[in-house]
Amino acid sequence: MKKVKALILRAAGINCDYETQAAFEVCSAVAERVHVNSLIENKNKIFEYDILAFPGGFSYGDDIASGKVLANEIKNKLGDKIKKFSLSGKPVIGICNGFQVLVKMGLLPDPKLFEQISTISYNDSDKFECRWVYLKTEKKAKNESNCIWTKNLPDVITLPVAHGEGKFIPVNFKLLEELNKNNQIVFRYSTKNGTIPEYPLAPNNSVEQIAGICNTKGNVFGLMPHPERYIFALQHPARESFDGEYGWGKIIFQNVVDFVK
Amino acid sequence: MFEVDIFTKKGFKDSRGEHVLSDILDIGIKGLKKIDYSPFYIIDGSINKSEVKMIASELLSDKITERFKVVSGVEDKKYKNSIIEVLYKKCVTDTVSESLVKAIKDLGITKDVKVKTGHKYYLHGNVSRDILNKIAIKLLANTLIQEYKVK
Repeated sequence: MKKVKALILRAAGINCDYETQAAFEVCSAVAERVHVNSLIENKNKIFEYDILAFPGGFSYGDDIASGKVLANEIKNKLGDKIKKFSLSGKPVIGICNGFQVLVKMGLLPDPKLFEQISTISYNDSDKFECRWVYLKTEKKAKNESNCIWTKNLPDVITLPVAHGEGKFIPVNFKLLEELNKNNQIVFRYSTKNGTIPEYPLAPNNSVEQIAGICNTKGNVFGLMPHPERYIFALQHPARESFDGEYGWGKIIFQNVVDFVK
Repeated sequence: MFEVDIFTKKGFKDSRGEHVLSDILDIGIKGLKKIDYSPFYIIDGSINKSEVKMIASELLSDKITERFKVVSGVEDKKYKNSIIEVLYKKCVTDTVSESLVKAIKDLGITKDVKVKTGHKYYLHGNVSRDILNKIAIKLLANTLIQEYKVK
């Protein structure tokens, strides 16, 4: 059987790369942490991999704005390769700081356009928000979402968030309508019952409680919560699990490894 | 030398400004109605205004929620409201400026530039200069490593 290879992109200030690597490895993928400078030196190396992951952290110290410096570096030095990789249909994920990078370089919500048309701004609280939240999976709300990462999830899951800038804002109402119409909104913050939450379950006051989006094809996915921090039941404060061993994050990573196989 | 000021666009929340106003109320100072927060950058070197505008547009401001203003020299316009400006002291490493110098090179501008980063707080309301100094010292500037100006 084919060995699925995942590239975990490292840069100064990224600190969730090991956990992301471990998440893929638990799902039987071969995951390698590759520094952005190494990838810039050998740009075509990216095509040796099946999956590209932008992990969480504080790239370049969150200087200027979260993800901005890394987004600028990648777009200007690796942009054409990243765009080609994404448009080929190979899976790409951006988690937390990685999501900020994808949005700020314009890979989400439309990798074809590859221009910034939405942003992830400061939490309304102006504080770093760190807690477990509930997420409504949009796949059953309307039509089945195209997102290849989030198949087989129930209506509401729980994952941890940890960010100071997580408020998703589209450039205008038209884009918001398109994201809704195309089923690109993958996760919304919710209550345990799937209803609209208030702070602190809504950690940042994101527009329409958006916590994660994908492109129309469903292979490029970004989210503020950390699925790599809920692979095992042991990582949950109450040791909750859907099968006695694993957490919801495992399903997200397993989905995409199975997709590549 | 150029100064780039970043402002929150109308219709978007200025979380930092609201937070600072709340902190000012918490230390018992009354008389202020609103605070507008504005990060600013002083860029020096053999660089022209159109390059600075590109840096401001691509790096320093968020395309969706912020707008920017580029001024040649350092901004000294008189405002109706009081402003507190906070900058690092000369002997202190400005780590954001180091990231910014790298990011400017990534943008394709290879000229040598020096950058200083700072924060401006526009205070709307009536408070005395003594109170403004108190706000700066108690809340906005760490005077061990930062200096401030009340304008």
